[in-house]
Parts: sequence; structure tokens; C-alpha cells
Amino acid sequence: MKPTSADRRLTLTELAADSGVAPRTIRYYIARGLLEGPLERGRKAAYGERHLERLRKIRELQEQGLALAEIARVLDGGEGGSLPEPVVVETYQVAPDVAVQVRAGRSPWRKRLIREALRELARRLAQPEEGDKPY
Amino acid sequence: MTTSVEEHSLPLGPVAVRDGAPVELAMQQLFLTGRLFAAGGRLIVRHSFVASGKQPVEAVYPFQLPRDAALRRFRIEGPGFSARSELRPAAEAAETYETGLARGHLAALAAAYRDGLVNLSVGNLRPGEPVTVWLEILAGVEARDTGFRFRFPFTVAPSYHPRARTAMTAEGAGQMELPEEEFGDALLPEWRTDMAGLHEIGFALHVHLPGAECEVASPSHPLSVRFRGGEAEVGLARAGDVPNRDLVLDVRLAGDDGGKAPAVFSGRGTDGRTHFCLLAPSKLFGEAPRRARQVVFVLDRSGSMSGEPIRQAKSALLACLGALSENDRFGLVAFDNQVEVLDTLLRPATLFWRDRARAWLESIDARGGTELASGVEAGRQLLEQGGSGELFLITDGQVWGTEEILGAAGREGVAIHTLGLGAASQDRFLALLARRTGGVSRFVSLRERTDSAALELFGAVAAPVAREVKVGLTGLDDAVIEPLPGPRVFAGSPLAVFGSAAGGGEATLELSFQRDGPTVERRVKIDIGDGAGGETLRLLRGARLITDAESGYGAVQEGEIAGDKAAERRRERQRRRLEELGREYGLANQAMSLVAVVERPGDRPDAPPVTQVVPVGLPEGMEMGGVFARRAPAKPLACFAVPGRRAHALPRSRRPMAFARMPMEKAAEADGFDKLTAIAARIEPDGGMPGRDIEERIRASVYVLLAFASAGNGPDFGPFRRHVRRLIEFLEENLPGPLSLEQTRAVEAAVRLVRTGGTVPEGRWLELAAPGHPPFPDWEYLLERL
Repeated sequence: MKPTSADRRLTLTELAADSGVAPRTIRYYIARGLLEGPLERGRKAAYGERHLERLRKIRELQEQGLALAEIARVLDGGEGGSLPEPVVVETYQVAPDVAVQVRAGRSPWRKRLIREALRELARRLAQPEEGDKPY
Repeated sequence: MTTSVEEHSLPLGPVAVRDGAPVELAMQQLFLTGRLFAAGGRLIVRHSFVASGKQPVEAVYPFQLPRDAALRRFRIEGPGFSARSELRPAAEAAETYETGLARGHLAALAAAYRDGLVNLSVGNLRPGEPVTVWLEILAGVEARDTGFRFRFPFTVAPSYHPRARTAMTAEGAGQMELPEEEFGDALLPEWRTDMAGLHEIGFALHVHLPGAECEVASPSHPLSVRFRGGEAEVGLARAGDVPNRDLVLDVRLAGDDGGKAPAVFSGRGTDGRTHFCLLAPSKLFGEAPRRARQVVFVLDRSGSMSGEPIRQAKSALLACLGALSENDRFGLVAFDNQVEVLDTLLRPATLFWRDRARAWLESIDARGGTELASGVEAGRQLLEQGGSGELFLITDGQVWGTEEILGAAGREGVAIHTLGLGAASQDRFLALLARRTGGVSRFVSLRERTDSAALELFGAVAAPVAREVKVGLTGLDDAVIEPLPGPRVFAGSPLAVFGSAAGGGEATLELSFQRDGPTVERRVKIDIGDGAGGETLRLLRGARLITDAESGYGAVQEGEIAGDKAAERRRERQRRRLEELGREYGLANQAMSLVAVVERPGDRPDAPPVTQVVPVGLPEGMEMGGVFARRAPAKPLACFAVPGRRAHALPRSRRPMAFARMPMEKAAEADGFDKLTAIAARIEPDGGMPGRDIEERIRASVYVLLAFASAGNGPDFGPFRRHVRRLIEFLEENLPGPLSLEQTRAVEAAVRLVRTGGTVPEGRWLELAAPGHPPFPDWEYLLERL
């Protein structure tokens, strides 16, 4: 009988190939507590579907711009059963009818990029649209 | 209250946040040894690892390469074993490493990434097992006519990348992650402001001296120096230091300009050929011609420049403007995430535009990221309006993903002179940027004066002493010059010519170049010997070729789309070229890694080792909040409770800390230099000082001329030599004017004195010439002393 995906046992190399995450990076995640260690020790050291799923989740959060330290917080809150950490957001009113929320805690240069983008958005929203122009 | 000694000696070093248990760092010490000379260095870096705890550890040490550097090999040693690395294609080496680890063996991998970033990984370190990795590195130096400067990074700068993810993981600890699609699995260290518990660094180097009388000094570390024959043994003057800044070592001829004869290094290599490096001093090419300049100053105003660096950079820019004449035109660009310009056109260096520049610079402060490419591009666009010219870039160069910038820079015809600032080096990048554009690069540490270095470089690059340089070598069989030297030579920087031939002997170096008029030809007899040292020269040439080949590797060029077929084909061609170079010279690069697997008795597959990235110190002078978002740690692995046992008190001096024989900078210069910089910025476009009439202008100019000369500047030496030259020209052009015979003679005597490098009579020249002291005193004070 073919094993179901839940039974799949992967070596570290296979896990790396399937997830697109390098083996050393996977070990690093394990050391940082972002990912569980292998299911078994020794020659049979193997990883399963939940490792794959967790790596996908980490990648997804990285693509949202979260650093590993922040990802640890999000993953812990989500899976540990405890209340999630409060997320601090800053609200920018870019037009009377438009407000943009930005997650706090970005690096200074990222903050600056965001502010520039918001200024540009505010500027564009302040301009009348083609159809609104008076004749 | 009495504090017992015991309280101070309680838990020292890193402790885990959760249970307070001590956390030992896997890498305990890094020690640099090797030999240095004017063409480069052959270095051995000793990394000492001891893992604690109960599980095997994988220690990852991220570091950056010095300029023109490549890894050659490593040896890994421990109780009962010693193994050498093998050079293999990067993917194959990584697989060998992983297989070794999975089988429970000790494995080590040195893999290079973009920007000269290297990860040295040592996996399956058993608890308590001492393991040493000896890594051999070939590195270039910053050659000058009168010696050389060597930099070695002991830390990494947390540089800017628009897609880097950063977080402050504990108070005074920050982490940065680079985008995987550009940097693969490269890891960066954690940066810490608290140096307690970090690994210890040290060094002991053999330095070949370029002449009989030499100075060896360091603006970064206290030195102990012993001179032996033509060499110096240079070491750290204290037992150990912390990894928070580069080692900077200056080797300079004492009281000698180096003359015109090329320095020749040569010898037989292991391939049976004779390898050489010729350093042809700039004086061999003559004096720089006088012509109108077009220069755009590009100032990095990113957050990492905040504080003293940007203050000094701004005052240096104003002083540089004082060295321009009315015929010269200039532009000013400042960049962080945004680019701002003084004006959209190049402007003449008149008083009006210099005043505008001063006011504009006063409004510039440090902030934001380092979009260096945009800043350079804006400078280039300004220059295009004027036909040609050069860029003068002042930056800390702290930016990741430099390959795109280098790729674009190589295609343009604009020379970029770079002045790098900072305790942690991006020397490799800035040196490449200057070389690819035919410019000159200097890098100063924060313990040196930025304004002095800027003026020195600006004076040297006023105009190339030679353009369109072509080099040939006759008299030797099968002589090959590779890589081809740059097309321009600037005052103070020699032309480096690397190559090889079938054998040694008498040869003729043939130089042809442009200066002002027809092509100039020079022939210089040289003797290329066949002694020892040829292999080092071969390897240094290989490292230089590899650094050049790597400079555009992985970059997406203009008109390309990342991942498209054309870009992939070009990348594949570059990869093959790097593999070929790696095999030919036996040197690692981004396409070739070093790997070793040691099978120890008792090795067996077990749980994967615990990966620990070796932390480093935040580079001296940088502020944590300038780079990392302030946030409480969610789940820190470890923090430092108490200053650790290896805490070092760091001297905060901005001056060189130790000298051998004589200091390179005189004492109490700082204040005087500030005054001179301010005076230089007030020189008018015709070369004279301002005044109500020509008599007052001449009088003021003589005081200023003597102030410059008394601080060690002449028409051909010193950071203010351009200003001295212009003052002399102004005085000679305007004499006698309304002056009496006696006054005219005094002015002529002052000019003669400065021209000939004579001793300036004692006087309060600087004090009287400094701004805020107008009107200048009358003639009597001058006449009494001249």
C-alpha cells in the first residue's frame, strides 16, 4: 500500500529538495526553535509532512517581510495555544476617505520607504481624476 | 554599601534566557597570521572551536573578504586527526558536506556568496572536542607610491539591502536576513553592542618593508612592532581584542617619496613559469596637466553615516570646493533612499555657487538606507551634461548586492573615486568600483580624520597623470600581462602590473600614455628574478582575476529580467569562467567551495547538530537603532546577563593608538585641521582670500599661505596642496599691485619659502588666518618675521 502523505518519511536532503530550503537553513531553524527536530534519531532520522508544512509557513511569513525572530513569535502564538502577541500597527490617514495601517517595528530604512510610498499615495489621491476635472 | 568581590565574579558570559544556564560560544578565538608586502598578502586565519553542551554543534562563522581576496585551502585539526580541504564545484562541495554530517562525521565547508561574504561551517563538533581550522587567504592591499595600507575585516557591517529582514532580538543584539533568491543559504552573524563573551581576535604578521626606513602604524589597533632586516613583525600589543572593527595597517616609507623606479616582485611558481608584479609609481608618468575640472561630489547620507562621519564629510566637501577655480564646474548629490541634488546643472565654482553649496550641505543630515546606485546614477547624469568628468563618492559603502552597481559602473566612461568610511570594511566593493571605472579608492577608519583623507584624495585625483595607459614587456619569452592594468594613473597611486613569463631575466617595461599633447612613451629597464615567492604572486594574480570575474556574477543587468533565458545563459557563462579560474589557480570563489570530511572513530548518524552562528560586535561607531528595528525579544536563544570574562575596555581615541618609530599624524592636529578646512572653504575662485580691496586680499592670502605651510603643506605635498598652489598663483599674478617695495619683497619671500619647503618662521599664523579673526593683522607682523 502506498503511504499517505501524512506517513511520508523524508530525509533531510529530501525535505530540503521538496521545500526549497537548504539543509543547513533547516538545521538553523531547528536550533532556533522554529521547527521541530527530526521524528527519530540516528540512521532513521527523518522528517514528515508537518515539517514541510511548517517550512512553507515560514517562507510565507518571510515573504511578508518578517524576520525569523518575529516569525518565532507568530508561530508560537498560533500553535502554542496561548493568546497571540498583540500586533502594533500605525495608522496613516492618507486621504479623508483612506487610512493605511502599517505594522510597527520595521527597520528605519524600511519605515522610510513605507512613508515615501504613503506620501506618494497621498499625493496621487489628492489629485482630481481625469473624469473629475471641470470643463 | 560594600560590594563584595563575589558579586562581580558571579555568572559571567552568556546565559540562556529560559533557565539562566551558561551558553558557550562554539568559536573561541580567531587569530590572523601571514606575510604582507606591497603587492598583497598571503594570510592564514586560525579559527579555534570548542563546543559545549551535550549535543554536537554546527558552528557557522560568516565573514567578508578583504579586497582582491580569495580562499585557497584549509586544514582542520583536532585530537588524533588532521585533514586538508578539497576544492570542488559549489553544489558538489555542499553535498559532500551534508553527506558527511548525515553520517555523523566532522565536516567543514567554506562557501562564498555575493559581496565577498563567506560562511565557514564546521559541523558535528563534539562537546568538549577542540577543533582548529587554518584557512589560507590571498588578499590584496591598497598600494601607494610610498607604501601600502592593509585592511582585514574582523567583523561584518550590517549593510543595507532593500529586502533584508532585520530584527532586534534582545537589547543590544540585532539580526539580519538576506533574500534567499540572491544569497542562497548565506547566514549573517548576530551583531552585539556588548562585546562580552564574543570570540577573541589577535594577529601576528610578517611585513616586508618597501624601504630601509619605514613606518608601521595602525589607526585601528595597538601594535607591537619589531624590525628585523627588511621585515617587521607586527602583532597586537595586548593579549586579545574584540571583533568590532577591521584591522588597518599602514606601511609607509619614512621621509621618502619613493622615487620613480618601479618596485619589482618576481619568482618562479609551481607551474614552472616566472610570475611578477611591478608597481610603477605615479611619478614615473610625470606631473598632472592643468585643465578645467568637472566633478560631481556624491555624498552618502544614509543612517549609518550619522554623527561624526557626515559632519567631517560635509566640511571636507566644502574644503574641496575651495580647491576649485572659476573655470572648474561642480555638482553635488546626496543620497539615502532618495536622491537630492544641489542643482540640476553643473555650476561654476564661483563664490555664489559655493555659498549655495554650503547652505545646501547644512540642511543635509544622515537618515535612511543606502541606495548607492541611484546616487551614482544621478551624479553620472549631471556629468553627461558637461561632456565628461569624474565622480567623487564619499560613502561607508554599506550595501549588499553590489554586483548590479559594479556591472553598471563598468559600462560607463566616468571615473569614480571612492572615499570609504567606517570601522567595518566594504573595502572590497569600493576598491572594485574605483578600479572598474578607472578611479582611485581610499578607505579610512572612524579613528582617522575623514576631511583630511578626502582632501588628500581630492588633491591626488585632480587630474590623471596618465590616461589611456598601455603596458608592454619585452625581453622575456612568452610574457603575458594579466589582468590588464587600468587606463588611468593618478598622483600617489602606482600602476600595478601583474603577469608571467617563461623565465626571468632583464626586461624592458614599455609604457605608452596620453597626458596633455602627443602620446608619451617610456621605457624602463627592470630585472625580473627567478627566486622564491613566485607562487604567491601567481595566487595573488588569480585572486585578483577571480574578484574581477565575481564582481558582476549573479547581477541582473540593464535590459534583463531576472530568471529569463538570456540572463541565465550569461550567468552560466560566468559560472564556468569562475570554475575555470578556480581550477587554474586552486582558489575558491562563488562557483567553487572548499570542503573536508573527517571520519573519526565512533562517528555514527545521530540527530542533526545544533547550528550556532558565531556572533560579532556591531562595528564601532554604528548605532543599533540606525539599522535594526527596536523590539523586545520574542524567544531569544541567549542573552548576556553580566559583562563577560573577556570584556575589554576599548580606547575611544580617534587617533592612531600605537606607532613604531614615528607617528603618522602629529599630536594636537585635530583642532588645527578643522581651522584649516574652514579657511580652505573661504578661498575665492581666483585662488585668493576675500577682502575689501586687492591690498587686503594679498595680505590675507599671505597669512593663509603661511598657516597652511606651517601645518606641513606645500605645493606638492600635504592634504591642502591644491589650496597652497592656488594661493601662490594668486599672489604671483597680483604682485606688486598697490604694495610697497618692502611689502612686495615680504610676499615674494613667503612664496619662495613655501615653494622650496623651507621652515616657516614662528608665528601665530593659523590663529591669525582662521575665520572669525578678520581683519587680518597689518603688514608689520609679517614684515617682522619675513
